[in-house]
Amino acid sequence: MTKYTFRDLAEKTAAMREFGQLRNAGLPVPVEVRERHVQATNDGYTTGPEPGERIPDFALPDQSGAVRSLQDLAGSGGLFLVFHRSADW
Amino acid sequence: MLEKHGLKIAAVSYDARETLAAFAERFSIGYPLLSDKGSEVIRRFGLFNHNMAPELRSYGVPHPVEYLVSPAGVVVKKYFVPNYQHRVTGSAVALGEFGEVSFDAPVARLESGALRAEIGFPSGRAFAGQEVGFFARFTLQPDWHVYGSPLPDGFTATSIEFEGPSVLRQHLTLPEPELIEFPLLGETLPVYSGSFEVHGTLLLKFPLPEGELMLPAHLSFQMCSENVCEPPQTVPFELPLTLDPFVISDRDRKLLEESRSKN
Repeated sequence: MTKYTFRDLAEKTAAMREFGQLRNAGLPVPVEVRERHVQATNDGYTTGPEPGERIPDFALPDQSGAVRSLQDLAGSGGLFLVFHRSADW
Repeated sequence: MLEKHGLKIAAVSYDARETLAAFAERFSIGYPLLSDKGSEVIRRFGLFNHNMAPELRSYGVPHPVEYLVSPAGVVVKKYFVPNYQHRVTGSAVALGEFGEVSFDAPVARLESGALRAEIGFPSGRAFAGQEVGFFARFTLQPDWHVYGSPLPDGFTATSIEFEGPSVLRQHLTLPEPELIEFPLLGETLPVYSGSFEVHGTLLLKFPLPEGELMLPAHLSFQMCSENVCEPPQTVPFELPLTLDPFVISDRDRKLLEESRSKN
């Protein structure tokens, strides 16, 4: 796998757009375009709290508008908490 | 299935509550979808993806991480595949890998001498034509190592290869190896020891019949200690995927077939 380096945000954006335009047009995406896109979106990625660490407190509205926190979300065995991109696209 | 383990599920995204409500209704999602509009909690977790320019719709997304947390909020395990496109099956991902939770995400458990490996898909479901992620978690007994790359002749790097006509392309990403000097060999070699995890991708052929697809594969490695090297080994295994029906317009089907035939 080629390791791409990105000088700045503009280069990452260009890599993502190149990929997105081909894919949205239903055109073949060359392997290197896909790789560059994946590396641009994941550059310097972070994964948050480590096993053994406590997660930050949070209180967020769910789809019904009810505000939820760990205390009322978790079951007796805990909570599987998923951070994902978007439900919209 | 999760309930009997007392485990609940919740998902966080930067979408507005209305978007999540529509999504939950459309896909009959019963678990909480949490709206972190403005990405404040995403930042608090340290997951804000700084690669997204403010003008992009993806500005504000998190790095896609899943946590299994105890009722008291302590992380038990976490799971990360560095590619958003592997997220399609959403929250079904990776559950099979978390602690005592039993879930039908396929995992092969291999053991050979001082090496144990769990290789699996984060979800048991996929579509023909999809690029799916897989992971492998290795645990080596103390004093043993396996190799990364590049390597001089005579050593075998750790690799996983899926076989058969259903896989068009595959790629394995190994973590950064440790460079260790071996005075007896007169070489400095890239090695992995202890526990480490690798990730890979498979591009599935399109079209493929719906239903179960059994994917044969093999793991290759060479296990060595400071003093002794075992012969290279190849351990075959197989992993199942359930292929869901692919709903696609005739125009898109034609474009997809053309693109696959060119790749």
